[in-house]
Amino acid sequence: METNNEYKYIGTSERNVNGVEKVTGAAQYCSDMELSRMLYGKVKRSPYPHARIISIDTSKAKELPGVKVVIVGDEETCPSRFGAGVADEYVLARGKALYVGDAVAAVAAETEEIAQEAVDLIEVEYEELTPVFDGDEAFSRNPPAILHEELKSYKTIRSVPPRFDENRPNVFNYFRIRRDNTEEAFKNADIVLENRFEVAMIHHVQMEPHCGIAKVDGTGRLTVWGTTSKPYGMHRDISESRGMEPSSVRVIIPTHVGGSFGGREPKAEQIASSLVLAQKGYPKRPVKMRFTREEQLTTTTTRARYIVEIKTGAKKDGTLVATKMKTILVGGAYAGTGYLTARNGSFGPAANYKTPTFSMDAYGVYTNQRMAGAFRGFGNAETLWGMESHMDMLAEELNIDPLKLRLMNCTDEGDLNAFQEKMHSVGAKECLHAAARDIEWGKKTEQKAPHLKLGKGIALGNKYSIVPTASACFVKVHPDGLVELRTSTVELGQGSNTIFSQMISEEFKVPVSKVRVLNPDTDITPFDLGTASSRSTFNMGNAIRKACADAKKQLFDLAAKELGVTEDVLETAESRVFVKGSPEKSMHVSELFIPMVIGGYTLKEGAEIIGKATYYLPGVMPDPETGASERPASFYMFVAQAAEVEVDIETGKIRVTKMVTANDCGKAINPMMVEGQQDGGVLSMGIGSALLEEVITDNGVMLNPQFADYKLPTTLDCPDCDNYKSAIIETAHREGPWGAKGVGEGTMVSSAPAIANAIYDAIGIRFHDIPITPEQVLTALKEKNQESLG
Amino acid sequence: MENLSLIVNGEKIEAKISPETTLHTFLHDTLGLTGSKEGCGEGLCGCCTVRVDGKAVKSCIILALQVEGKSVQTIEGLADGETLDPVQEAFLDHGAFQCGYCTPGMIMASKAFLDEASKPSEKDVRHALSGNLCRCTGYHKIIKATLSVDQK
Repeated sequence: METNNEYKYIGTSERNVNGVEKVTGAAQYCSDMELSRMLYGKVKRSPYPHARIISIDTSKAKELPGVKVVIVGDEETCPSRFGAGVADEYVLARGKALYVGDAVAAVAAETEEIAQEAVDLIEVEYEELTPVFDGDEAFSRNPPAILHEELKSYKTIRSVPPRFDENRPNVFNYFRIRRDNTEEAFKNADIVLENRFEVAMIHHVQMEPHCGIAKVDGTGRLTVWGTTSKPYGMHRDISESRGMEPSSVRVIIPTHVGGSFGGREPKAEQIASSLVLAQKGYPKRPVKMRFTREEQLTTTTTRARYIVEIKTGAKKDGTLVATKMKTILVGGAYAGTGYLTARNGSFGPAANYKTPTFSMDAYGVYTNQRMAGAFRGFGNAETLWGMESHMDMLAEELNIDPLKLRLMNCTDEGDLNAFQEKMHSVGAKECLHAAARDIEWGKKTEQKAPHLKLGKGIALGNKYSIVPTASACFVKVHPDGLVELRTSTVELGQGSNTIFSQMISEEFKVPVSKVRVLNPDTDITPFDLGTASSRSTFNMGNAIRKACADAKKQLFDLAAKELGVTEDVLETAESRVFVKGSPEKSMHVSELFIPMVIGGYTLKEGAEIIGKATYYLPGVMPDPETGASERPASFYMFVAQAAEVEVDIETGKIRVTKMVTANDCGKAINPMMVEGQQDGGVLSMGIGSALLEEVITDNGVMLNPQFADYKLPTTLDCPDCDNYKSAIIETAHREGPWGAKGVGEGTMVSSAPAIANAIYDAIGIRFHDIPITPEQVLTALKEKNQESLG
Repeated sequence: MENLSLIVNGEKIEAKISPETTLHTFLHDTLGLTGSKEGCGEGLCGCCTVRVDGKAVKSCIILALQVEGKSVQTIEGLADGETLDPVQEAFLDHGAFQCGYCTPGMIMASKAFLDEASKPSEKDVRHALSGNLCRCTGYHKIIKATLSVDQK
């Protein structure tokens, strides 16, 4: 498990610093929090996918004993729209309801039961409108429904602005890449292959349902606790949607949040806030809004259905000469982070192979479904599902081994990608070699029975991390030597608190037990872009190193005066400051602090030892016409995965008998936690998305909103421990802290194509949509048999 | 309201509750034992798993009154003071949790299984834990942690 290591704390598999709380039940999540005199909220939701709200009668609900507040979407409660990139959403729908489950009213009452009863008493009159669900129809120039007639007047974000399409009214973002002339290159290709792929809508299924708690103090200041992964994003959403001064909102995220995977848009928090603010006079009672599992599965963000069209040209020897793609993220009623997903799903295909000509048209469109947005991989598991299935088909056409085709075309250090960016820290080849080794590529496994067909498949992938990007932090040295990190990175389970502790341990040469990480609190912890895009290790890690240097400088300046030396000869370890080479000339950190008469400690100057730093990487915005950019991303994490599957041709059941992954994370700060990310990405989400998971809808209504029907992988769906291998590849990044990049999002981007390629190897059937279910396998086998008979 | 008498983590508890109260609500809301989590309220995810007379039970689909006179153990009652149970230690050593929301239920299911099983195979463990969902770990380290526990 340990990797080659010259450091004391970096690169070691420290136990999770929050682990004891988690294994003893002491860990408190937002949903466990109770405040005195708390009210409980419930939401009235639209039964229609697209409808005009004619009237809402709340009189019966208001009369119900125990009901304290009833709100609807109006000027008072929901004055402004908000959104990640396109401000297209009100906290409660105004004018139109745009999906089944769209929030149209909300109640706060003494108990959840009373609130639910009141919600049922709210009478809403709707005028049904024609909905649109299909991606191609929504994308068309004359769609059956236009969701946002006023789209062009909406406020948009300046840093990464969305681009609308004059002729396609449901397009909420369009992004293009043009590297040289693909059309000319296709003419010179020996083989041109074209395909279309899709992925189904799936859900993150974080184990803790979404939850928000809001309270207002006597000055009107709002404090909100929640389960979001982006405290400052939520801070902006809440203040913007109500026209509040940003300084009058405080956001706190508990130390424990039950998973995110990209799907923590703060809707519960927003509604809880509205229910508090709508109370007249003082004191206002706090409100808790805890979504049920069904509400989570039916109304919170999803990974969108995605349409991927790909055309490639290659020479007979396998050299890629042209790649042309068009993708449509079939989004929901509100763009959310989907506006960026639709754009950034193109990054994976742009960086996988060194194609001299490359063209991409990436769109995101509105449909009458709940918001689709960020999901582990941020569009790239979807686009690479297409690209990596397609590569195997190309390999077959060319009669070249799929592994060899990838090795000869994949990007390497110094190659230009489709953005014409010079690639750095590219572990593609090492990952491919490791995956091939661990799956025993080329070696046939013996079939157990004639109806159990075995096959192997491999796929390459990568995941970029976002620019522009910034992380800031404070590092405080306490009088007893404890070093405290104040960061707005959210510990969602990925282990950020532990690896940040290891980083500080390394900088201050103290054990992890002498480090503490505070939970995000916008009054205390400074700005961070968000716990997303696998960006925390790299961005916050760099900020931590800089802040540690600042804190140490302050420490040494103070100690130098006490020790009668210059500060440049000092270093620190084990909470002591000493002269390099003369450890006898030293003092404990505590000796800098003077105990005071009534209590507490003081420094002689400077108030406290607090290092602070920002790591800011603006990158270079891609050219709007060509996508050209020297720095469109902060780094790329490469991954190769391979699968062995067993297909039962009698039942259609597919079993993943073996699965291997190799991930290039730059440097594993904590190998055990890197493995944890790999395990979850591959075994739960990779296998789940390939074979099991789908949000099934009929006229916008989710038909499988319980665990009985929405199939998550269980212990029985994953390969045995001996048949799963995870390799850590460390291709150091010159700007990464200790060379580290990230890992989480890159872990599922090639799982589905590896599995589908293995299925093809087993039964000779190519699937273009996931999930690949037993029914589809049986139908396809039947068709294939009929063809061969015919 | 009905009278309820039971033992929770070794302590005798007497309470008056409304008859529709689930065991999970009683433990989590009434007693403040927030370790067991509600993940679905339908007995399908296992986050609320506790032990009733040693057996793993999904506390969200059993009424508190159904465990009258019985002994309930929650995650809070598993460690012996400062000394963690070997299953808890194994989960820590293997990194067998991430967000931790399913962890209390997973550990209680694992513990209930290990107390009954003798020299279990990986297949046995996978079957025993198949009713407990986890989204973070892919179960890999959970299975390894459970298999690593030395059964005395």
